[in-house]
Amino acid sequence: MAIKKKKELDTEEKSPENRILSFPDEVLERVLIFVKCHKDRSAVSLVCRDWYNAERWSRTHVFIGNCYSVSPEMVARRFPNIRSVTLKGKPRFYDFNLVPPNWGADLHPWLVVFASAYPFLEEFRLKRMTVTDESLDFLARSFPEFKALSLVSCDGFSTDGLASIATYCRNLTELDIQESGIDDLGGSWLSCFPDSFTSLEALNFANLHSEVNFDALERLVARCKSLKVLKVNKHVTLEQIRRLLVRSPQLTELGTGSFSQDQKLRSDADLESAFSNCKNFNTLSGLWEVSSVYLPALYPVCANLTFLNLSYTALQSTELAKLLQNCPLLRRLWVLDTVEDKGLEAVASSCHLLEELRVFPADPFDQEVIMEGGGSGVTESGFVAVSEGCPNLHYVLYFCRQMTNAAVATVVRNCPNFTHFRLCIMNMCQPDYLTNEPMDEAFGSVVKTCSKLQRLAVSGLLTDRAFEYIGTYAKNLETLSVAFAGSSDRGMQCVLEGCPKLRKLEIRDCPFGNAALLSGLERYESMRSLWMSACNLTMNGCQLLARKMPRLNVEVIKEDESDDMHAEKVYVYRSVAGPRRDAPPFVLTL
Amino acid sequence: MELELGLALPNNHLMKGLDLNDGSTTNSYRKRGFEEAFEEVIPKATLPLFVHKNGGDGDDENDSPQLKNSPELNSISGNRALVGWPPVKHPRRRSAGGGAEERWSEHCGSNSDDGGGGRRAKCVKVKMEGVAIGRKVDLSLHDSYEELFHTLNQMFPNMQHGFAHHPHHHRRRFMVTYEDGEGDWLLVGDMPWEDFIRSVKRLKILS
Repeated sequence: MAIKKKKELDTEEKSPENRILSFPDEVLERVLIFVKCHKDRSAVSLVCRDWYNAERWSRTHVFIGNCYSVSPEMVARRFPNIRSVTLKGKPRFYDFNLVPPNWGADLHPWLVVFASAYPFLEEFRLKRMTVTDESLDFLARSFPEFKALSLVSCDGFSTDGLASIATYCRNLTELDIQESGIDDLGGSWLSCFPDSFTSLEALNFANLHSEVNFDALERLVARCKSLKVLKVNKHVTLEQIRRLLVRSPQLTELGTGSFSQDQKLRSDADLESAFSNCKNFNTLSGLWEVSSVYLPALYPVCANLTFLNLSYTALQSTELAKLLQNCPLLRRLWVLDTVEDKGLEAVASSCHLLEELRVFPADPFDQEVIMEGGGSGVTESGFVAVSEGCPNLHYVLYFCRQMTNAAVATVVRNCPNFTHFRLCIMNMCQPDYLTNEPMDEAFGSVVKTCSKLQRLAVSGLLTDRAFEYIGTYAKNLETLSVAFAGSSDRGMQCVLEGCPKLRKLEIRDCPFGNAALLSGLERYESMRSLWMSACNLTMNGCQLLARKMPRLNVEVIKEDESDDMHAEKVYVYRSVAGPRRDAPPFVLTL
Repeated sequence: MELELGLALPNNHLMKGLDLNDGSTTNSYRKRGFEEAFEEVIPKATLPLFVHKNGGDGDDENDSPQLKNSPELNSISGNRALVGWPPVKHPRRRSAGGGAEERWSEHCGSNSDDGGGGRRAKCVKVKMEGVAIGRKVDLSLHDSYEELFHTLNQMFPNMQHGFAHHPHHHRRRFMVTYEDGEGDWLLVGDMPWEDFIRSVKRLKILS
């Protein structure tokens, strides 16, 4: 039950200007229920005190982009009626091993406060948080109405923690542990869901390494009639998938296990009919170890697919082409670069509604890529081909080993609506391979043409000119990722001075020093965070920043004792909670 | 055969003042393209353009053997030994069986304990005298001093190890030293590779 705040209606005579403000709170709160986006809610709360209060009483979902920017007590004080919490922890470069383990972002302090402040909490959506088994157990026992747990790129827990969730969360609708680093102690956690438990709607354990008890899984799927999302791990065989599909034709999102079979299936026709029975698929993923002889079984479900995630599947271009011919409604496609440029040409000819493309490298570390076709991933021509066939493309993540300025210019000419442009030329500091020029003009054309650009990741050989372009044109840019680029402090200064909407800036291995860092003094309080590693920062520069901006947390990660002056890894973020109290010894708050 | 080789750090610009061959620095940016390095195509013959404080000299020719398209050397590159580059979050490795994925998870190191045994990443810091930015090298990806020097060569293009296939003939302009478990600084190369790996804590390149 929502706790209602009583307030006397203001009965005094009001001038016309004030009449609008004497709206009863209850009415305002009813209206505000329809305002969902947290940015809008922030705006609402700033209008006046009455609106601030109405907003805080009516907010049910809180989004905390940096868990150290605020304390759980502050959240509980301001928002009394929260049902759903989104919490993000470690800096993104943690995903690439640039943040040492045991850095922090522990969920537990949040759970302790919220267990008493929000006993009816229903959802936790966590990203890059550390979550222990004890925390999961505490969560499962503390929140009787708990419904949805989503753990993206989290770590610290094992399958024992999952067992607690399965055992105690009677109303669970969602359990999603995608891409989290789990200690796999075995698969009996799935059997902990009681026989009376039927509320599950989404289950994702795709990256779990150990086998789960298939009988328990099958019975779970059979009794959860509302199950819409099922993503299993690669130990689930094709025959087992067939059996699961027979039980749950209502699925809308399926993550298969391995898509090949050692023993012969009952029959291929059975597999096809199991898939054909599923009329509602919009998302397909998994598909480890695909054996192309079974791919045609998927064709019936492809007709309505909007999202196809083949990033674990080493498909060749011809296999992809055949598959995509059946997917005319595809909006989002993730593939491995084993499909090569020819595969991307097939994308261009089959998927005209495509909005998002991600091409991942099959062998990012091996320069000696041994492909069946003798190829070498994707190049600029695949990129251009997709842009020609897919005019609605607005999100791209593209890993390649060569690129040209001209190709990028062509791509954005064809697709001027990019909101997310992430290009990773995997060889560091590589220039345009045809002209030998830096890649400055490529990103210049991106920011000049794509006025809606929100997120940009740059790569290749870049001088300050690239950053001048970004600062001059990228007026809607919110997130920028930079590695091995730039020539001087000026590069970073251009960005800090020129991009008014910048929220997240992450930089590694660039020649930006204290002058660049300090040029952003005015900016950091309006940003979520800044990360700089392996740049030219010194402890003095960081200390100066900390002194001048007391509402920022300026943290230096010091991993070895040598070189006291150099600030190897620096993380700066705004916070109303003051310096961290749980910082490990290698994190120095200045 | 000589290859044009340059894995220049962006701060190569800062080194400009030290280069005696100023006009040629633009070429030093040019890393070997993928095809050149790994196919039998012979790239256009140019002098390797490592420049360093002591000026370029005829040593360049003798260094060329290290740049040959030798599969063992080329399979280790500066890229691979760098922590977190390319920025790929999770192994989307073609499943060629368990081996490939384990090798990946070894490289990923501490964050995702994928349970596979075998080597763990051994990243040590490398500092070169006079260079502000230190680098990190993953020693577990190397099997010999040769490979390590090759990687260091790519990380610090201003330096010449003067290393060749035959370790006894190497000529060094710079000395690569390391700190061992007891805090002593020793010359790299004097003890068997396996022992070195076990005791090394960090590297320093001195002139």
